Amino acid sequence: MAAPMELSCWGGDWGLPSLHPESLTVMAYAKFAGAPLTVNTINNSWRAPKGDVPILISEGIVISQPAKILNFLRRQKYNADYELSAKQGADTLAYIALLEEKLLPALLHTFWVEAENYCSVTKPWFASRIAFPLSLYLPGKMSREALNRILLTRGGPPLYSLTEVEAQIYRDAKECLNLLSKRLGTSQFFFGDTPTTLDAFVFGFLAPIYKVCFPRVQLQEHLKQLPNLCRFCDDILTCYFRLTLSGHSPAGQDTADANLQKLTQLVNKESNLIEKMDDNLRKSPQHPPRKLTTLKLAAGGEEGSPLNRLSP
Amino acid sequence: AAEPWPENAALYQQLKEEQILLSDNASSLAVQAFLQMCNLPIRVVCRANAEYMSPSGKVPFIHVGNQVVSELGPIVQFVKAKGHSLSDGLDEVQKAEMKAYMELVNNMLLTAELYLQWCDDVTVEEITHPRYGSPYPWPLNRILSYQKQWEVRRKMKAIGWAGKTLEQVLEDVDQCCQALSQRLGTQPYFFNKQPTELDALVFGHLFTILTTQLTTDELSEKVKNYSNLTAFCRRIEQQYFEGHDKDSSTTVAARSAKRSLLR
Repeated sequence: MAAPMELSCWGGDWGLPSLHPESLTVMAYAKFAGAPLTVNTINNSWRAPKGDVPILISEGIVISQPAKILNFLRRQKYNADYELSAKQGADTLAYIALLEEKLLPALLHTFWVEAENYCSVTKPWFASRIAFPLSLYLPGKMSREALNRILLTRGGPPLYSLTEVEAQIYRDAKECLNLLSKRLGTSQFFFGDTPTTLDAFVFGFLAPIYKVCFPRVQLQEHLKQLPNLCRFCDDILTCYFRLTLSGHSPAGQDTADANLQKLTQLVNKESNLIEKMDDNLRKSPQHPPRKLTTLKLAAGGEEGSPLNRLSP
Repeated sequence: AAEPWPENAALYQQLKEEQILLSDNASSLAVQAFLQMCNLPIRVVCRANAEYMSPSGKVPFIHVGNQVVSELGPIVQFVKAKGHSLSDGLDEVQKAEMKAYMELVNNMLLTAELYLQWCDDVTVEEITHPRYGSPYPWPLNRILSYQKQWEVRRKMKAIGWAGKTLEQVLEDVDQCCQALSQRLGTQPYFFNKQPTELDALVFGHLFTILTTQLTTDELSEKVKNYSNLTAFCRRIEQQYFEGHDKDSSTTVAARSAKRSLLR
């Protein structure tokens, strides 16, 4: 209806259209509601907007936070929540609050505070996409802001050291993932068969945890044990994000995602087999151990191939 | 955890008439409502330094036997360990919903109350600063309130609320009340027949907002727009707070009337 709107946000990698949870939420919502958006990923030219990301620019109006962007899209008649009842709308707000309180601190920690992750993955990735010399300053600032937010919201007494706070926020995040998994159950999306705002938010928060390859991955491992959430992310990626990624050929993306799905299923089967063999081992001590190690190596080898797609 | 609930359990909060602020009063009332719903007797004790006595720095906290537990979340778990629980009858999906709604109340209502008390200049000048330091002599009262204000403003900035105007905050409160009202519908409690900790939490916040007089009435007007929420508050007040024993009778009488937080 309106002229095409432009969205400025962080770009993507590892099969995701964006690494930034809020940008991903807005992109997913736009896909669900059918809003025509041209996505401009921030690159290292100086024309990139400074300040809040993601930013929606439409006919000269600039809107900056995800909640406001979603409201704007709804007012432009791109409404993904059209068929929700009032109670479901209320549930949406409640679950979004749950995500922000319980999952976001751990997400911020995994990306920005955990030293190994930050130094080997996050900082180089973001620095390569910001113009010099801002790239020397901005990732550090984002990391400090993340730590600040975690400490101010979760770090009061009786938790006095950073390790205790970390332990608590990861516990909360794992509980939150379990709750989401129970709520999703076996249905395809949270409210039936069509995706809504809540699906956009959950996808925006879960997909970076699920896909980005970090050295320290306790949250990702926990998420992989909840197959319905993994299936949820994969479904949205394959159905809604096939065609628009610049620089990714759609067919290649398709087969890559299908391969990834097969690999995940294989890994799950292997881990079930390993558990059964473990049980057998405990019952009959003369069971030859060699089989176990070769199986484990095979599982490790298959998990290694997505790592090859890590760009410098 | 194996000991039964003692008779002399006490709940500590700040001084009711002069010192306590909107957000602390809401949290305290939520805990009192929860304990009443579990049928556990509790005595409310008002101390000027309740915040400093608390193990986590937040009020209210309860002193049961030889243990001290603060804030609604840990208190619910503590009470559950003693064998009383309001949410046992819920299935997994309902428990997830209950937790989500409790986070919604904490995220929106509590943060809005904190914003109003500490970031809105008019309210800060006229209500918060005089009340917060009132038990202490000058200059300690001013120092303590400025310190607390700085802390709260830092937190607001970290979560992105510092840039919001009062209208935006009130709009958020309205959205939250709308969500709660829609979820409650025509049922007596949020999970139909039995009250849960979510009902206690919502009651604590909404009742405090409705009965506290601030510089403007806008906050309570937002809640009054939803008649099922006001009926809900009245119902819980009648069932759990009136006609209840000598311990809480003074607190109840003071609370049921429209109270003024102005000096």
